[in-house]
Amino acid sequence: MSEQRVDTGRIFPKRMTLDGVTPGMELEEKVFGPVSREDFVRYAEASGDDNPIHQNEEYAKKSGAPTVFAMGMLNAGYLAKAVSEWFGGPQYLRRYKVRFTNRVWPGDEVVCTGKVVSIEDGLVKVSVSASRRGPGPESLNLDEEQTAIVGEADIELPTD
Amino acid sequence: MAEEKIEFELPVTEEHVKRFAAAVGEDDNPLFFDAQAAQELGLPGIVAPPTFTVTQIFQVPRDEREQRLGANLDYARVLHGEQEFVYKRLPLAGETLKGTMRISKDFEKEGKRGGSMRFVTYETKFTDAGDDEVLTAYYTLIQTAKDVG
Repeated sequence: MSEQRVDTGRIFPKRMTLDGVTPGMELEEKVFGPVSREDFVRYAEASGDDNPIHQNEEYAKKSGAPTVFAMGMLNAGYLAKAVSEWFGGPQYLRRYKVRFTNRVWPGDEVVCTGKVVSIEDGLVKVSVSASRRGPGPESLNLDEEQTAIVGEADIELPTD
Repeated sequence: MAEEKIEFELPVTEEHVKRFAAAVGEDDNPLFFDAQAAQELGLPGIVAPPTFTVTQIFQVPRDEREQRLGANLDYARVLHGEQEFVYKRLPLAGETLKGTMRISKDFEKEGKRGGSMRFVTYETKFTDAGDDEVLTAYYTLIQTAKDVG
């Protein structure tokens, strides 16, 4: 009896080759969330980042934040997934750099965008960003959308 | 006396890879869940998501890192400012990586509102059982200026 593959509903990102990429190309927006406190707890448990400022309301308030907020690396994880989907999979990533500029609050969506900057020696250089989009904590009176991460990625794509 | 580097092991277990992938919304990519599917793409088996090695926090907790490498940061005013990964390949489920962590950068610069900000980068080079480089992670902490005035 041959082994039966179970359909899990999982599918590989669409394959991409170097000739399908041009400098200036804008990448399709990817939206994650809205993120919740449960997402922060799950990420804490999976990553080992157990800083209570992301999970414990009282602790966050004592630290001067109106409520808990997402770990930067959780948002960076979503953005890495966006990069992987834009370029056919995570295995083509050669460099990924992120700088954290704003916090992401419960109820926010994480909106990922990217643009091909150049192609150098076969390496695709991409600028990426993730924004928070949502009302945010009332007391902060935030803009509806703010940049949470700015970053860069280098991708080495197959040539055929 | 501070040490120059910390060496540690990072086991990349299949169970942990799956749990981490699910936590960063990657639960729909077969590469992180299905060895047979990964092999169809020419990979040896299940791989870990690109940001997986942040789980080294389990291996080298902050206090140990502080004590052994001696950065003397004041964590009441420390933020995770930047993170960078440089990849040769993604970690594979089932392997144990060797991590070598050291402080690769430590400098101060003038803050926008006066006082000095300090930037400390922890570099961790991950190698495999054959001593080949897998990836290098750069974890940059920013110690904000003390409140002035």
